[in-house]
Amino acid sequence: MGPDFHTSFRLERIESPLKRELKDLFGIDVDTCLECGKCSGGCSNGHVFDYTPRKIVQLVKLGAEETLLKMDALWICLSCQLCLDRCPSGIDIPRILDHLREKSRRRGIPATRPAVGLFHDLMLDQVRKSGRVSEVGLMLRFNVATGQYLNDAGLGWKMFLKGKLHPFSPSVKSVKEVRRLFEESYGKKT
Amino acid sequence: MPENTKTALVIGGGPAGMEAALRIAQAGFHAVLVEKEPELGGTLRDLHSSFPRWENPRELIDHRIGLLTKSRRVTIRTQTAVMSSVRQAKGFRVSLKSLGNGGREGYEDELDVDAVVLATGFELMDASVYGEYGHGIYPGVMTSLEFEGQLKTWAQRAGDIAVDAPHGVALIKCVGSRDRSKGYPYCSKICCMYTAKQAGLVKDLFPDTRVYVFYMDYRASGKEYEEFVRQVIEEKHVRYIRGRPAKVLPEDGRLLVRAEDTLMGIPVEVAVDMVVLASAIVPRPGTLLLAEMFGARTDEYGFIENEPFEPARSSERVFYAGGCGFAIETAGALNQGAAAAAGVTALFNEER
Repeated sequence: MGPDFHTSFRLERIESPLKRELKDLFGIDVDTCLECGKCSGGCSNGHVFDYTPRKIVQLVKLGAEETLLKMDALWICLSCQLCLDRCPSGIDIPRILDHLREKSRRRGIPATRPAVGLFHDLMLDQVRKSGRVSEVGLMLRFNVATGQYLNDAGLGWKMFLKGKLHPFSPSVKSVKEVRRLFEESYGKKT
Repeated sequence: MPENTKTALVIGGGPAGMEAALRIAQAGFHAVLVEKEPELGGTLRDLHSSFPRWENPRELIDHRIGLLTKSRRVTIRTQTAVMSSVRQAKGFRVSLKSLGNGGREGYEDELDVDAVVLATGFELMDASVYGEYGHGIYPGVMTSLEFEGQLKTWAQRAGDIAVDAPHGVALIKCVGSRDRSKGYPYCSKICCMYTAKQAGLVKDLFPDTRVYVFYMDYRASGKEYEEFVRQVIEEKHVRYIRGRPAKVLPEDGRLLVRAEDTLMGIPVEVAVDMVVLASAIVPRPGTLLLAEMFGARTDEYGFIENEPFEPARSSERVFYAGGCGFAIETAGALNQGAAAAAGVTALFNEER
């Protein structure tokens, strides 16, 4: 268990601002969870999650925000939306995870999977610079940064031949607007 | 049409017994309704509000009492006990004893009846057999029926600033029920619903009070029941913790409940001011005596049992309804009372 659980867990001391936050920002009500586990059963990566989707909802109820922000599942979730699709109460778990990832990055908590964190950074960097993601450019930078130069090279070549990859990706017309969006959400930065 | 002279003895003046007596009378036969307490209503009298529609049980009791007292074919005998019974060719000769009625205490009389309906209700298991929950040791620990009284008191004094709202209340389900070690392997059926009701009522009275329900499952198999429980969780904000508490102990003048949150697999604790035990529903000891008296079947726990394929009949001329057969909610008790009455009147009609 995470750092919240070193002492015995006292229910009456739970304040879960996160629970209220999710309600206010996205209208997600974790109290509608039926605890059935259909989300976890359907999760495409649930077998490697430290906390399965059902437990993630439960941790929100318990107000265990620190555990949630540091958990491994944040960085191996594929955002495939299966949990949401399966949920009988329609709880938007992918949105919860998005929110937690954003919060975790903002607080500067290192991703448990550095490569995933790096990938996110590189991708966002590209978007900031050109307003788009260039798959080829992103993969090249990612491979160089991780030292695995030929990773997926064979697959990339095949995709290129089928016209699925475009080596050149021009910037959007008004990159300034994109920059403004970044400044609004991240504050002034390079 | 000649007046029907056949009479049924209905033992127990709760919802099941009242319903049986009323329907027998409406079908044109006589009913003698015997109740040992001074008033009709049974366990229903002790309840504050009902599920799944938050109705006042008093209104139901008063409605039925109104119909019963108006009927000239119903004889109501409160503060009366059935002392003995002798089976005759077509009925029973029973002996009734007055339990105190201004000088009539101890007065006994005999009565010939053609059939009997047992409707003696249920009671709660003695919760003090669980030393770990501290019933009878800590004043804040009470059974669910005792808590109904507490709810009534609170409701009567609503708005009274002198009322000390509890900071926290924990309600524990399956106290006794589903416990082989204590001899009650069965599910008591109604606790899930009345616990949700009680938890919701606390939140209605004191919105700032934290209310916790400790549960293994919630079994809400009835019309509007699931919606009722979800309303209590989602709209009234009662916290449901999945786990059967292991101990209640004192802490700084409050009560600390220890359990596992089995959904996370972590031990949890919560400090509250009151602990409510949804104690197992058991038959009254008196029911077993009556069953012997009238030759009714009983199961291993002492609940009345039916004859094969006869859901409301326990033996010849002996019918039953309500909690003496098993845990039952009010609506079910009324249905069973009507079913027992149907059995009685069908028998009486055949013998006309």
